[in-house]
Amino acid sequence: MRGSPWSGAACLLAATLVTGTMAAQQIDPRLDRLDAVTRSIVGALVDSAVAAALPTEPLIQRALEGATKRATGEVIVAAVRRLAQDLAHARDALGGTASPGELTAGAAALRAGASPAFLTELRRTRREPLIVPLAVLTDLVASGVPVDSAAHAVVALASRTRDADLIEFRRAVERDIALGAPPAAATAAAAGLTAQSVDVNAGARQQRPGRP
Amino acid sequence: MFDQPDDAVERMARHLRQPVRIDPALDERVMRAIATLPTPVRSTAGVAWSWLTRPRRLTLTPLGMVAAAAALAAVVLLYRRGPGPPVLPRTDTRPFQFVLVAPRATRVSLVGDFNDWDATRTPMRRVRATSSLWSTLIPLAPGRYRYSFLVDGAHWRADPAAPAARDDEFGTPSSVVTVGGS
Repeated sequence: MRGSPWSGAACLLAATLVTGTMAAQQIDPRLDRLDAVTRSIVGALVDSAVAAALPTEPLIQRALEGATKRATGEVIVAAVRRLAQDLAHARDALGGTASPGELTAGAAALRAGASPAFLTELRRTRREPLIVPLAVLTDLVASGVPVDSAAHAVVALASRTRDADLIEFRRAVERDIALGAPPAAATAAAAGLTAQSVDVNAGARQQRPGRP
Repeated sequence: MFDQPDDAVERMARHLRQPVRIDPALDERVMRAIATLPTPVRSTAGVAWSWLTRPRRLTLTPLGMVAAAAALAAVVLLYRRGPGPPVLPRTDTRPFQFVLVAPRATRVSLVGDFNDWDATRTPMRRVRATSSLWSTLIPLAPGRYRYSFLVDGAHWRADPAAPAARDDEFGTPSSVVTVGGS
Protein backbone atom coordinates (compact mmCIF):
# COMPACT_ATOMS: atom_id res chain seq x y z
CA MET A 1 0.00 0.00 0.00
CA ARG A 2 1.25 3.41 -0.86
CA GLY A 3 2.03 5.44 2.22
CA SER A 4 0.24 8.76 2.35
CA PRO A 5 -1.04 11.14 4.98
CA TRP A 6 -4.50 10.52 3.56
CA SER A 7 -4.36 6.81 4.27
CA GLY A 8 -5.07 7.07 7.98
CA ALA A 9 -7.95 9.44 7.46
CA ALA A 10 -9.36 7.23 4.74
CA CYS A 11 -9.16 4.16 6.98
CA LEU A 12 -11.00 6.04 9.71
CA LEU A 13 -13.66 7.22 7.28
CA ALA A 14 -14.11 3.72 5.86
CA ALA A 15 -14.46 2.19 9.31
CA THR A 16 -16.95 4.87 10.32
CA LEU A 17 -18.98 4.31 7.15
CA VAL A 18 -19.18 0.57 7.60
CA THR A 19 -19.82 0.67 11.34
CA GLY A 20 -22.44 3.37 11.03
CA THR A 21 -24.22 1.57 8.26
CA MET A 22 -24.29 -1.71 10.16
CA ALA A 23 -25.54 -0.03 13.32
CA ALA A 24 -28.26 1.79 11.42
CA GLN A 25 -29.38 -1.41 9.78
CA GLN A 26 -30.12 -3.06 13.09
CA ILE A 27 -33.20 -0.90 13.33
CA ASP A 28 -36.16 -2.53 11.61
CA PRO A 29 -37.15 -0.51 8.53
CA ARG A 30 -40.81 -0.70 9.58
CA LEU A 31 -39.92 1.64 12.41
CA ASP A 32 -39.32 4.41 9.89
CA ARG A 33 -42.87 5.50 10.75
CA LEU A 34 -41.56 6.74 14.11
CA ASP A 35 -39.81 10.06 14.54
CA ALA A 36 -36.03 9.89 14.63
CA VAL A 37 -35.60 10.07 18.40
CA THR A 38 -38.33 7.55 19.19
CA ARG A 39 -37.06 5.27 16.45
CA SER A 40 -33.57 5.34 17.92
CA ILE A 41 -34.77 4.50 21.44
CA VAL A 42 -37.14 1.79 20.27
CA GLY A 43 -34.33 0.40 18.13
CA ALA A 44 -32.11 0.22 21.20
CA LEU A 45 -34.86 -1.56 23.14
CA VAL A 46 -35.24 -4.04 20.29
CA ASP A 47 -31.48 -4.60 20.28
CA SER A 48 -31.60 -5.27 24.01
CA ALA A 49 -34.37 -7.79 23.44
CA VAL A 50 -32.27 -9.53 20.81
CA ALA A 51 -29.35 -9.70 23.22
CA ALA A 52 -31.64 -11.18 25.87
CA ALA A 53 -33.07 -13.73 23.41
CA LEU A 54 -36.54 -12.21 23.70
CA PRO A 55 -38.93 -11.92 20.76
CA THR A 56 -38.72 -8.57 19.03
CA GLU A 57 -41.82 -8.70 16.87
CA PRO A 58 -44.23 -7.83 19.74
CA LEU A 59 -42.09 -4.80 20.56
CA ILE A 60 -42.11 -3.63 16.97
CA GLN A 61 -45.85 -4.15 16.67
CA ARG A 62 -46.47 -2.20 19.88
CA ALA A 63 -44.39 0.69 18.55
CA LEU A 64 -46.22 0.57 15.22
CA GLU A 65 -49.56 0.56 17.04
CA GLY A 66 -48.52 3.70 18.86
CA ALA A 67 -47.35 5.35 15.66
CA THR A 68 -50.60 4.53 13.85
CA LYS A 69 -52.63 5.83 16.78
CA ARG A 70 -50.53 9.01 16.77
CA ALA A 71 -49.25 8.53 20.30
CA THR A 72 -46.35 10.68 21.42
CA GLY A 73 -42.83 9.32 21.37
CA GLU A 74 -42.67 9.18 25.14
CA VAL A 75 -45.82 7.10 25.36
CA ILE A 76 -44.58 4.73 22.66
CA VAL A 77 -41.21 4.25 24.33
CA ALA A 78 -42.86 3.64 27.70
CA ALA A 79 -45.20 1.06 26.20
CA VAL A 80 -42.41 -0.77 24.39
CA ARG A 81 -40.16 -0.71 27.45
CA ARG A 82 -42.92 -2.08 29.67
CA LEU A 83 -43.70 -4.84 27.21
CA ALA A 84 -40.03 -5.80 27.03
CA GLN A 85 -39.95 -6.11 30.81
CA ASP A 86 -43.11 -8.21 30.79
CA LEU A 87 -41.65 -10.49 28.12
CA ALA A 88 -38.53 -10.99 30.24
CA HIS A 89 -40.63 -11.85 33.30
CA ALA A 90 -42.71 -14.25 31.24
CA ARG A 91 -39.58 -15.95 29.98
CA ASP A 92 -38.31 -16.31 33.55
CA ALA A 93 -41.57 -17.98 34.55
CA LEU A 94 -42.12 -20.13 31.45
CA GLY A 95 -38.52 -21.15 30.85
CA GLY A 96 -36.10 -20.69 28.03
CA THR A 97 -37.96 -23.04 25.70
CA ALA A 98 -41.08 -20.88 25.55
CA SER A 99 -42.06 -19.83 22.05
CA PRO A 100 -42.44 -16.16 21.06
CA GLY A 101 -46.22 -16.62 21.03
CA GLU A 102 -46.17 -18.08 24.52
CA LEU A 103 -44.01 -15.26 25.80
CA THR A 104 -46.35 -12.68 24.28
CA ALA A 105 -49.39 -14.33 25.82
CA GLY A 106 -47.51 -14.79 29.09
CA ALA A 107 -46.59 -11.11 29.19
CA ALA A 108 -50.25 -10.18 28.74
CA ALA A 109 -51.26 -12.60 31.50
CA LEU A 110 -48.72 -11.15 33.90
CA ARG A 111 -49.93 -7.66 33.04
CA ALA A 112 -53.48 -8.81 33.76
CA GLY A 113 -52.41 -9.85 37.26
CA ALA A 114 -51.46 -13.51 36.95
CA SER A 115 -48.56 -14.58 39.11
CA PRO A 116 -45.32 -15.98 37.72
CA ALA A 117 -46.05 -19.13 39.73
CA PHE A 118 -49.25 -19.60 37.70
CA LEU A 119 -47.26 -19.47 34.48
CA THR A 120 -44.76 -21.99 35.82
CA GLU A 121 -47.55 -24.28 36.99
CA LEU A 122 -49.24 -24.06 33.61
CA ARG A 123 -45.98 -24.98 31.88
CA ARG A 124 -45.64 -27.99 34.14
CA THR A 125 -49.25 -29.05 33.64
CA ARG A 126 -49.75 -28.72 29.90
CA ARG A 127 -47.62 -30.31 27.22
CA GLU A 128 -49.25 -28.42 24.34
CA PRO A 129 -48.47 -24.77 23.56
CA LEU A 130 -49.63 -22.35 26.24
CA ILE A 131 -50.76 -19.48 24.04
CA VAL A 132 -54.47 -20.15 24.36
CA PRO A 133 -54.61 -20.99 28.09
CA LEU A 134 -52.66 -17.83 28.88
CA ALA A 135 -54.86 -15.77 26.56
CA VAL A 136 -58.03 -17.23 28.04
CA LEU A 137 -56.90 -16.28 31.52
CA THR A 138 -56.12 -12.73 30.37
CA ASP A 139 -59.47 -12.40 28.62
CA LEU A 140 -61.39 -13.74 31.63
CA VAL A 141 -59.71 -11.23 33.91
CA ALA A 142 -60.57 -8.51 31.40
CA SER A 143 -64.20 -9.67 31.65
CA GLY A 144 -64.19 -9.16 35.40
CA VAL A 145 -63.30 -12.63 36.63
CA PRO A 146 -61.01 -12.51 39.68
CA VAL A 147 -57.54 -13.55 38.64
CA ASP A 148 -57.38 -16.38 41.20
CA SER A 149 -60.66 -17.88 39.98
CA ALA A 150 -59.55 -17.62 36.37
CA ALA A 151 -56.14 -19.13 37.11
CA HIS A 152 -57.66 -22.01 39.07
CA ALA A 153 -60.08 -22.86 36.26
CA VAL A 154 -57.47 -22.59 33.50
CA VAL A 155 -54.95 -24.79 35.32
CA ALA A 156 -57.66 -27.36 36.01
CA LEU A 157 -58.64 -27.50 32.33
CA ALA A 158 -55.23 -27.05 30.73
CA SER A 159 -53.90 -30.57 31.12
CA ARG A 160 -56.60 -32.29 29.05
CA THR A 161 -58.41 -29.60 27.09
CA ARG A 162 -57.71 -28.54 23.53
CA ASP A 163 -57.31 -24.94 22.45
CA ALA A 164 -60.74 -24.87 20.83
CA ASP A 165 -62.39 -26.12 24.02
CA LEU A 166 -60.62 -23.48 26.07
CA ILE A 167 -61.81 -20.74 23.73
CA GLU A 168 -65.32 -22.11 23.93
CA PHE A 169 -64.98 -22.11 27.71
CA ARG A 170 -64.05 -18.43 27.63
CA ARG A 171 -67.06 -17.64 25.44
CA ALA A 172 -69.36 -19.49 27.81
CA VAL A 173 -68.07 -17.49 30.77
CA GLU A 174 -68.44 -14.19 28.91
CA ARG A 175 -71.95 -15.16 27.82
CA ASP A 176 -73.01 -16.00 31.37
CA ILE A 177 -71.51 -12.80 32.73
CA ALA A 178 -73.39 -10.83 30.08
CA LEU A 179 -76.56 -12.55 31.26
CA GLY A 180 -75.93 -11.41 34.80
CA ALA A 181 -74.04 -14.25 36.46
CA PRO A 182 -71.33 -13.35 38.96
CA PRO A 183 -67.95 -13.71 37.15
CA ALA A 184 -66.41 -16.19 39.61
CA ALA A 185 -69.50 -18.38 39.65
CA ALA A 186 -69.81 -18.25 35.87
CA THR A 187 -66.19 -19.34 35.57
CA ALA A 188 -66.58 -22.28 37.94
CA ALA A 189 -69.77 -23.45 36.23
CA ALA A 190 -68.35 -23.21 32.72
CA ALA A 191 -65.16 -24.95 33.78
CA GLY A 192 -67.18 -27.85 35.13
CA LEU A 193 -69.20 -28.15 31.94
CA THR A 194 -66.12 -27.90 29.74
CA ALA A 195 -64.33 -30.60 31.71
CA GLN A 196 -67.28 -32.93 31.16
CA SER A 197 -67.65 -32.30 27.45
CA VAL A 198 -64.13 -32.04 26.13
CA ASP A 199 -64.42 -35.23 24.13
CA VAL A 200 -67.96 -34.82 22.84
CA ASN A 201 -67.67 -32.32 19.97
CA ALA A 202 -64.18 -33.14 18.79
CA GLY A 203 -65.12 -33.77 15.18
CA ALA A 204 -67.19 -30.70 14.42
CA ARG A 205 -64.62 -27.93 14.59
CA GLN A 206 -62.57 -25.96 12.07
CA GLN A 207 -65.35 -26.17 9.46
CA ARG A 208 -66.04 -22.43 9.37
CA PRO A 209 -63.83 -19.35 9.60
CA GLY A 210 -62.84 -18.53 13.14
CA ARG A 211 -64.28 -15.58 14.99
CA PRO A 212 -62.63 -13.51 17.68
CA MET B 1 47.49 -56.03 -21.19
CA PHE B 2 45.61 -53.74 -18.80
CA ASP B 3 46.47 -50.10 -18.31
CA GLN B 4 47.23 -48.88 -14.93
CA PRO B 5 43.96 -47.68 -13.24
CA ASP B 6 45.20 -44.10 -13.00
CA ASP B 7 45.79 -43.99 -16.73
CA ALA B 8 42.26 -45.21 -17.50
CA VAL B 9 40.67 -42.62 -15.27
CA GLU B 10 42.81 -39.91 -16.77
CA ARG B 11 41.80 -40.89 -20.31
CA MET B 12 38.11 -40.94 -19.41
CA ALA B 13 38.37 -37.53 -17.82
CA ARG B 14 40.06 -36.09 -20.87
CA HIS B 15 37.29 -37.50 -23.04
CA LEU B 16 34.57 -36.04 -20.91
CA ARG B 17 36.24 -32.63 -20.80
CA GLN B 18 36.01 -32.25 -24.55
CA PRO B 19 33.18 -29.81 -25.58
CA VAL B 20 30.02 -31.38 -26.90
CA ARG B 21 29.47 -30.76 -30.57
CA ILE B 22 25.84 -29.99 -31.43
CA ASP B 23 24.50 -29.76 -34.92
CA PRO B 24 24.05 -26.01 -35.63
CA ALA B 25 20.70 -26.74 -37.38
CA LEU B 26 19.20 -28.43 -34.30
CA ASP B 27 17.51 -25.29 -32.96
CA GLU B 28 15.90 -24.59 -36.29
CA ARG B 29 14.60 -28.15 -36.59
CA VAL B 30 13.12 -28.06 -33.09
CA MET B 31 11.33 -24.75 -33.71
CA ARG B 32 9.94 -26.02 -36.99
CA ALA B 33 8.59 -29.08 -35.24
CA ILE B 34 6.94 -26.95 -32.59
CA ALA B 35 5.38 -24.68 -35.18
CA THR B 36 3.73 -27.64 -36.82
CA LEU B 37 1.97 -28.71 -33.59
CA PRO B 38 -1.79 -27.83 -33.39
CA THR B 39 -2.58 -24.68 -31.40
CA PRO B 40 -4.62 -25.54 -28.24
CA VAL B 41 -8.11 -23.97 -28.26
CA ARG B 42 -8.81 -22.05 -25.02
CA SER B 43 -12.37 -21.74 -23.80
CA THR B 44 -13.88 -18.45 -22.66
CA ALA B 45 -13.88 -19.76 -19.11
CA GLY B 46 -10.24 -20.64 -19.43
CA VAL B 47 -9.40 -17.19 -20.71
CA ALA B 48 -11.44 -15.64 -17.91
CA TRP B 49 -9.78 -17.83 -15.29
CA SER B 50 -6.39 -16.94 -16.68
CA TRP B 51 -7.29 -13.24 -16.53
CA LEU B 52 -8.56 -13.56 -12.99
CA THR B 53 -5.58 -15.49 -11.71
CA ARG B 54 -2.97 -13.38 -13.46
CA PRO B 55 -0.80 -11.76 -10.77
CA ARG B 56 -1.29 -8.03 -10.51
CA ARG B 57 0.15 -5.28 -8.50
CA LEU B 58 -2.44 -3.14 -6.71
CA THR B 59 -1.94 0.27 -5.26
CA LEU B 60 -4.56 1.24 -2.68
CA THR B 61 -5.31 4.95 -2.76
CA PRO B 62 -7.45 6.84 -0.24
CA LEU B 63 -10.16 7.27 -2.87
CA GLY B 64 -10.06 3.56 -3.59
CA MET B 65 -10.46 2.76 0.11
CA VAL B 66 -13.47 5.03 0.38
CA ALA B 67 -15.00 3.40 -2.69
CA ALA B 68 -14.37 -0.07 -1.25
CA ALA B 69 -15.94 0.95 2.05
CA ALA B 70 -18.96 2.36 0.25
CA ALA B 71 -19.33 -0.86 -1.73
CA LEU B 72 -19.08 -2.94 1.45
CA ALA B 73 -21.63 -0.71 3.16
CA ALA B 74 -23.99 -1.14 0.20
CA VAL B 75 -23.63 -4.91 0.40
CA VAL B 76 -24.35 -4.87 4.14
CA LEU B 77 -27.29 -2.53 3.55
CA LEU B 78 -28.87 -4.79 0.96
CA TYR B 79 -28.20 -7.91 2.99
CA ARG B 80 -29.67 -6.54 6.19
CA ARG B 81 -32.68 -4.89 4.59
CA GLY B 82 -33.90 -8.15 3.12
CA PRO B 83 -37.01 -8.53 1.03
CA GLY B 84 -39.24 -6.42 3.29
CA PRO B 85 -41.51 -6.90 6.27
CA PRO B 86 -42.10 -10.47 7.26
CA VAL B 87 -45.23 -12.04 5.90
CA LEU B 88 -47.39 -14.34 7.94
CA PRO B 89 -46.64 -17.91 6.96
CA ARG B 90 -49.39 -19.41 4.87
CA THR B 91 -48.90 -22.79 6.41
CA ASP B 92 -50.60 -23.51 9.69
CA THR B 93 -52.96 -20.57 9.32
CA ARG B 94 -56.72 -20.54 9.41
CA PRO B 95 -59.13 -17.92 8.12
CA PHE B 96 -60.63 -15.53 10.61
CA GLN B 97 -63.61 -13.35 9.88
CA PHE B 98 -63.91 -9.88 11.38
CA VAL B 99 -67.17 -7.96 11.21
CA LEU B 100 -68.29 -4.53 12.35
CA VAL B 101 -71.63 -2.77 12.20
CA ALA B 102 -70.97 0.79 11.06
CA PRO B 103 -74.00 2.24 9.27
CA ARG B 104 -72.62 5.72 8.62
CA ALA B 105 -69.08 4.71 7.73
CA THR B 106 -67.74 5.32 4.26
CA ARG B 107 -64.68 3.15 4.77
CA VAL B 108 -63.45 0.78 7.46
CA SER B 109 -60.03 -0.83 7.89
CA LEU B 110 -58.89 -3.70 10.05
CA VAL B 111 -55.59 -2.75 11.69
CA GLY B 112 -53.52 -4.86 14.04
CA ASP B 113 -50.46 -6.89 14.92
CA PHE B 114 -51.03 -9.04 11.83
CA ASN B 115 -50.60 -6.20 9.33
CA ASP B 116 -48.06 -3.92 11.03
CA TRP B 117 -50.88 -1.58 12.09
CA ASP B 118 -51.02 -0.35 8.52
CA ALA B 119 -54.44 1.10 7.81
CA THR B 120 -54.08 0.60 4.07
CA ARG B 121 -53.32 -3.11 4.25
CA THR B 122 -56.70 -4.67 5.13
CA PRO B 123 -59.69 -2.64 3.99
CA MET B 124 -63.08 -4.08 4.96
CA ARG B 125 -66.01 -4.39 2.56
CA ARG B 126 -69.72 -4.02 3.01
CA VAL B 127 -71.44 -7.37 3.04
CA ARG B 128 -73.98 -5.92 0.60
CA ALA B 129 -74.00 -2.57 -1.16
CA THR B 130 -76.62 -1.13 1.17
CA SER B 131 -75.59 -3.06 4.26
CA SER B 132 -74.23 -1.48 7.42
CA LEU B 133 -72.23 -4.63 8.09
CA TRP B 134 -68.53 -4.52 7.18
CA SER B 135 -66.51 -7.69 6.92
CA THR B 136 -63.13 -9.08 6.02
CA LEU B 137 -61.48 -12.48 6.14
CA ILE B 138 -57.76 -12.92 6.83
CA PRO B 139 -55.51 -15.92 7.53
CA LEU B 140 -53.97 -16.03 11.00
CA ALA B 141 -51.32 -18.31 12.42
CA PRO B 142 -51.62 -19.47 16.03
CA GLY B 143 -50.95 -16.61 18.39
CA ARG B 144 -52.49 -13.67 20.17
CA TYR B 145 -53.07 -10.47 18.21
CA ARG B 146 -54.17 -6.99 19.16
CA TYR B 147 -56.31 -5.17 16.63
CA SER B 148 -58.79 -2.40 16.14
CA PHE B 149 -61.10 -1.01 13.49
CA LEU B 150 -60.35 2.35 11.92
CA VAL B 151 -63.53 4.00 10.69
CA ASP B 152 -63.29 6.72 8.05
CA GLY B 153 -59.57 7.03 8.73
CA ALA B 154 -60.10 8.82 12.03
CA HIS B 155 -62.20 6.88 14.54
CA TRP B 156 -60.85 3.86 16.38
CA ARG B 157 -63.37 1.21 17.36
CA ALA B 158 -62.84 -1.93 19.39
CA ASP B 159 -64.48 -5.13 18.26
CA PRO B 160 -67.65 -5.50 20.33
CA ALA B 161 -67.57 -9.25 19.69
CA ALA B 162 -64.07 -9.80 21.03
CA PRO B 163 -62.25 -9.49 24.34
CA ALA B 164 -60.86 -6.05 25.03
CA ALA B 165 -57.14 -5.45 25.27
CA ARG B 166 -56.42 -4.40 28.80
CA ASP B 167 -52.96 -3.01 28.27
CA ASP B 168 -53.96 -0.16 26.00
CA GLU B 169 -51.48 2.62 26.61
CA PHE B 170 -52.39 4.66 23.59
CA GLY B 171 -55.76 5.90 24.69
CA THR B 172 -57.85 4.23 22.02
CA PRO B 173 -59.64 0.91 22.35
CA SER B 174 -58.19 -2.31 21.02
CA SER B 175 -59.36 -5.90 20.99
CA VAL B 176 -57.54 -9.20 21.03
CA VAL B 177 -57.99 -12.34 19.00
CA THR B 178 -56.40 -15.63 20.00
CA VAL B 179 -55.75 -18.33 17.46
CA GLY B 180 -55.23 -21.80 18.82
CA GLY B 181 -53.46 -24.70 17.26
CA SER B 182 -55.47 -27.61 18.60
